[in-house]
Parts: sequence; structure tokens; C-alpha cells
Amino acid sequence: MLTLRPLSLALTAVLLSQAASADDLVLQRVLVEGSRMSQLGIADSANAGTVGQKELAARTAYRPGEMLEAMPGLIASQHSGEGKANQFYLRGFNLDHGTDLATTVDGMPVNQRSHAHGQGWTDVNFLIPELVGRLDYRKGPYSARDGDFASAGSAQVTYANRLVKNLGSVTLGQDGFARAVVAGSPEVAGGTLLYALEGMKNDGPWTRPDDYRKTNAVLRYSRGFVNNGWSVTAMAYRGRWNATDQVPLRAVQDGSLGRFDAIDDTDGGNARRYSLSGIWRRTDADSATKVSAYVIRNQLELYSNFTYFLNDPVNGDQFAQPDRRVTSGLDASQTWHVHRGDTIASDLTVGTRLQNDNIFNGLYDTRARQRLSTTRADHIVETSGALFIESATRWGEMVRTVAGLRADRFRFDVRSDRIENSGRTGDTQVSPSFSLILAPFASTEFYANYGHGFHSNDARGTVAGIDPATLDPVGRAPGLARSRGMELGLRTEAIPTMQTAVSLYRLDFDSELTYIGDAGMTEAGDASRRYGIEFSHYWRPLTWLAVDFDAAFARARSRGASLDGDRDAGRRIPGAVEGVGQLALTVDKLGPWSGALRLRYFGPRPLIEDDSVRSKASTTLNGRIGYRIDKKTQVEFEGFNLANRRASAIDYYYASQLAGETAAVDDIHFHPIEPRSFRVTLTRTW
Amino acid sequence: MTKSLKLLLCAVLLCASTMASAHRFHAGMADVSFNARTGSTEIVHTYMAHDIDALLANLYGRQFDLTEPDDQEVLRKYLESRFSVLGKDKTRLRLRWVGMTADAERVTIYQEIEQTPLWKASFILNKVLVDFLPDQVNTVNLNEGNAVRTLTFDRANPEQPTR
Repeated sequence: MLTLRPLSLALTAVLLSQAASADDLVLQRVLVEGSRMSQLGIADSANAGTVGQKELAARTAYRPGEMLEAMPGLIASQHSGEGKANQFYLRGFNLDHGTDLATTVDGMPVNQRSHAHGQGWTDVNFLIPELVGRLDYRKGPYSARDGDFASAGSAQVTYANRLVKNLGSVTLGQDGFARAVVAGSPEVAGGTLLYALEGMKNDGPWTRPDDYRKTNAVLRYSRGFVNNGWSVTAMAYRGRWNATDQVPLRAVQDGSLGRFDAIDDTDGGNARRYSLSGIWRRTDADSATKVSAYVIRNQLELYSNFTYFLNDPVNGDQFAQPDRRVTSGLDASQTWHVHRGDTIASDLTVGTRLQNDNIFNGLYDTRARQRLSTTRADHIVETSGALFIESATRWGEMVRTVAGLRADRFRFDVRSDRIENSGRTGDTQVSPSFSLILAPFASTEFYANYGHGFHSNDARGTVAGIDPATLDPVGRAPGLARSRGMELGLRTEAIPTMQTAVSLYRLDFDSELTYIGDAGMTEAGDASRRYGIEFSHYWRPLTWLAVDFDAAFARARSRGASLDGDRDAGRRIPGAVEGVGQLALTVDKLGPWSGALRLRYFGPRPLIEDDSVRSKASTTLNGRIGYRIDKKTQVEFEGFNLANRRASAIDYYYASQLAGETAAVDDIHFHPIEPRSFRVTLTRTW
Repeated sequence: MTKSLKLLLCAVLLCASTMASAHRFHAGMADVSFNARTGSTEIVHTYMAHDIDALLANLYGRQFDLTEPDDQEVLRKYLESRFSVLGKDKTRLRLRWVGMTADAERVTIYQEIEQTPLWKASFILNKVLVDFLPDQVNTVNLNEGNAVRTLTFDRANPEQPTR
């Protein structure tokens, strides 16, 4: 139908001109034929990526935190009640509840610093998967934009501003699972009002049902476009649950305890999160500006008992770790697109990040959730400010560089119930980063990355004078622990239906955050070194079939005081995961049918420094089948742990004492993965 | 449009294509012609895939695959709200969505005004992409017999008479 005329030819020349233009640097490439978003020319390392809404929707997720497993090499597990923050593993780290994994939702930090239960506490139960537009991730401390907790990696979850269609969805499942969600985005007063309301209940397979109930809501008003517009968002989440914490292996083996039994049937908690946030962005051909601000109110009541009757044979060892906080912050960045000649283009970005946490938390001995005594109670004001500058330059077709410098200043102000543990201190770190990207061939890039990162330590540790439980004097931890990472990577799409990335990295930490199981706290520990290799492969052999294969191996060692004998003896890092893998087959575009099968390998972990006790690897299989009844109605079946494997979701090794025991026993304590279960979801759009 | 004007426009556009290393030229095009065989007026839009992709990603905050029918509906909704052909009394002529194709470089959209000759189109309203890209210039080529007339639309000029 098109007639070729000079004018059309000229326009075609414009349409076809391939150029490194200003807006190239901030926009994704075009998606066609269901392919995964290409990261060539976009990502600064082989490990970074973006997962789109459709890919996320095609995954099975037993719990909201498993959405983050779309980040290759990451495992999200659970050792307690469902309302608790997940336990994360990545790049040879046992990240506990989120140390060294920086997670944000719509620019708001999820990690809670100086948290009562664990540093960097990352509770993502407030996520509503239907609203997620994209998940961006990167691993290693190679970006000046990343600050606290980002040394192993960072995950940025972004909600969509509007939905293609309004939706209502109901899910029913085994083990008392029920969920309903309604969401929509009508046009209101020249903008879009996005709303979502979610209710959920889950008992799980536990002898004492979790009875996890949550209510979750999002309300957002936005105007304009993501890159040229603004939005204001309110979120509210409430959850309460019973917890079946990890149980001692000896009791299960001798038959006195079932695998799904709890020892203290009053463990559990409740959590609330309310936030108000706003984002304003302006983008034109020469510059881009982004300003965002947020206020988050978090409240947690958490009752745990990991050692049973070790410390108090009469009342038991249950303890409470309440945490109430208001987190407020402001992020701003300005990018200038600079062109030098026809081939050199730079994006120069300067940014700042300010955050303040006003925290009241504590540690109390309890019995059946009734307070018996106070171990410590603290009022913490933690304030941080960061400045960063980053220059991303394309030196022609074949070479790109990203050079960054970041300065962070933290101020810790702790008013404890003991004067010895009160005080003010601060810490500062300057972190350089540099990436070199070579693209000698059209569809292949090589990466070399170097950078410094850090995690902040618990403010209470930075001014600590005595151990409040034993009254022994203790040393003070530094405010910030530096990490240094280096990485070589390769990404290729030389074969059109395949995307492959390989990374080889080393990450050193000045101080490891170690989880102290019986205290329910993280503690600043020895220095560490990790080597690792990661492989990520995506293949779409047919238009209706995609194959994902990710594998990651890591060697983690403590670099503390040297020990006699084997060089590595005593240098293992408890919980540090040695291997992670995923193999997934995803089927779509098969008429009304879609589906996925995902095999997940969670590799072995040493449970003690000398490696004499280890956690076994586990492999689980999840799947889903979707059927579109008509244009507006879809039904989906999800199955979890399809092979019904009896494995551990998590293992610890420490001393505990049961009610009938007269002495402490060193033992493995484990939390089992849930047995095979199914859920069915009916979704209606309009 | 006179021949010299057309040549000038060609030269400007070709320069723009070579200057695109400095700034991408944001342009869209629509060819409008009467198909005597079907008795309908056919419209073929061509846009840079990059621009459409960026538009939808920034409108919705997620990525779309324009080879999928569901995602094509999203673009259809946008295009139909930004492009219309008006009759003499400024009533909208009904545009039927015939279909679209997309590859990594361009998005081509086919519409038609069923059983309607081109002369019935008195005005064209074209605001495609101009709300997203301030420098977007859309051209519409009206093919009547051997003559081609080109209308140019931008943010300041969203509506043009066809004659």
C-alpha cells in the first residue's frame, strides 16, 4: 500500500537511522516476539538485568518474596511464620533477612537498618505482584547509585502507574490459603488513579496453623508519563501470624516432635507498614531530573524462641523484638546528556540521597508473649546522607565506560536503657566504582567492573559498651564496613534466540554480618573473601517456548585470625550458600494455554566455621498451568514442591535445650519446606 | 506542496538522519489513499519502534511486546485517541483498525475508513506521540490520483484541513 516517493524515502532514512542518541541511554530496547529484554548496550555488567511484568507473572511464587528469585542466583526462603521477612541467599552470602541485598519498592528503601531482629530487615510481604511493572537488579558494588546493603546486590521493584485492564482475582489453595485482590486505574481529573486492595490468609502445613492474615492496599495518583510526570502513592499493609520456628533435628529423629510441629506455640508476630511517597521526573533531549521523597511508618511485634529452654528452664527462652520506626528520605538526581562530536556521548549524573530513621526497638524476655524482663530498650536516630557523581560515556561503537564516586556519611545516636550503651558516633565512606564495557562484535559485550560498597552496622553496636545480657564489656563496631568487588563478565546474543551471560567475581568485605541464631541478632564479624562464577542463559527455541537456565557457584571464606591445620579449616561462613541453580520451561502463546515448570536447586551450606556440619542441598519443582476461558477470564493452577521433597528450607547449627533435657545440645535446627500443595486462581479483567 | 518545498523537506529530513547521533529526530508518517477495489480509504502509519516502545513503557511503567495481540490493544487505544479523520461537519469518520506489525525498527499500523472516498475527509487530527515527545513531527501524505499532498503536524498544529 505504501508508495515509495522521495519524501517517504527521506522519512525512512530517519526512521532507520541507528544512532547513539541522548535518550538511548535511559530507554529499553524494543521487545519483539516475546523475547526477554536485551541488556546489550544498556547494562554495565554481565550480572545486571531487568525482568518485565509478563516474565514475573509467568513465575510461580509461594510467597511474595520469591518474586525476587527472578534475579538469577537469589534464593528467598523462610524459617518462621509467613509474615516474617524472608531469609535471602545470594552470591555466596547467607543474607539473613536482607543484609547486603538492597531492595527498593518505587524508590523507597525496604531494608530497615538497626532493626530489632536483624540488620537490613527486608519484609516484602506488602508487595502486590499484580502491580509490579518491572524488577531491575544488579549484583556487586559497581554502581555509585547504590549505597547501604548493596554489596551482594540490589533489587528495584517498580509499580506500574496504570494497568492495561482492571482486574479482580480470587485464589484458593491447600493448607488454608485464600487470597483476593482487586485493582484498577481509572482516569481521574486528567491523571490516573491506581488502586489495589488485597486480602490474604494462609495457614501453611504447620501443626499449629500460621493463621497469617494480611490486608494490603495501594492508592496512587499520577499525571503524565513515568519520565515526564509525577505520582503520589499511599500504601498500607497489616499482617499478623503465628510462627513455627526452626525445630531441633534430634527431636524429630527420636519421634518426639513432628516435622511440622512447633516447640513454642506462642511464637509469631504482627507487622504494619504505612507509607506516603512521591516521585517527580522531567526528561528532555539534553537532561533528566528525578526527585523522590517518602515517609514510611513500620511497626513490628516479633516473638521468637530458637533455643527453647536453654537460658530459662522455667519460663523458656521466648523473646520479643518490637520495632517501631519512621523512615523519611529524599532522593534527587540530575543527568546531563553531553555529546562530543559524532561518536562520543556522555551521561553525567549527580545525585543525593538523604535518609533518617527514628527508631524505638528492644529485646525482651517473654513467656507466651508476656514480658518477663527487659534485656535492652533503645531509641535510635540514624541519619545518613550521600552524594554521588557518575559519568557514563560511549566512546564510539565499541567502548563504554562508567566511572563513579560516592560519599556516604552516617550518624548514629543511640539512647539505650543503659548509659554504657548510649552515645553518638558517625562514620564516613568514599566509594569509587569503574566499569569498562567492550563491544567488539555486534551481539557480544565484555565487562570489567571494580567498585567499593558497604553495609552499615547496627547503630547499637557502634556505641556498645557492655553486653546487656551478660554485662561483659564489648568492643564497638565501626559504623560502616567496606566491601571491594571486582568482576569480569561476558554477555552474548550472537545466536538470535539466545541470551547468555557469564560473570566471574571476587568480593572482599572488611566485616561480615553474621546471624546469631540464639540471640536473634546480626553481629559484625570477621573480614571475608568470596569468589564466584555465575551463568545465566535464556533460550527461546520456539515462539511458544522459553528455557531459562541459571547457575551460580561461590566460595566464601572468613579472613579472620588464622587457624592451625588446613588453611580453610574454621574459615567457613555459616550459611554461605555454595551453589544455586534454576531451570525453567515457560510456555505461552499456545492458544488459550500457558504454563511453566521451574526446578530450583538450593545448594549446600556449611553450618559451622570448621565445616564439620553441613546443610544438604535441596531441589524443588514448582509449576503452573493457565487457561484463558475467554478474553476476560483466566483460570490458573499452581503447584508447589511437585515432587513432594522432604527437605529443609533452612538449617542452623547451634546449642539448644528442650524441656526434658538437662543440658544444652549442639544440633541442627531446621525449618522444612512445605510439602506438595496446589492453588487455583480465577482472574477476571474488565 | 510544491516540488521545491518537498525537496527542501527531503533535504532537512536526510540531514536529520545524519545528525541523529546528536539528537534523535522524532518523526511519524501516515499514508492515506483510496483503494478503488475495496471502496475504502486506507491509512498506513509508520512510527519508530523505539519511540512507541518508550511511549508505552513511560505511559504504563512496564514493557510491552507489540507482536502480541493483547499488547497491540494498548497501542490501539492510544492511537485511536490521538488520530482521527473528520468530515466536513467535523464529525469523526469511523476508523476501522485493520491490524499492525512491529519489528525492532518500526511499527506499522493499518486502518481504513470503510466504503468512504478520500474526498469525504475534510480534516485530520494527529496528536500521535506529540504529548510524549515535544519535538515529534508527524506527516500525513494524502495520495489522490497521481498527486501527493503532505500535511505536517506537531504540538502547535495538531489539526489540518485536507484541502
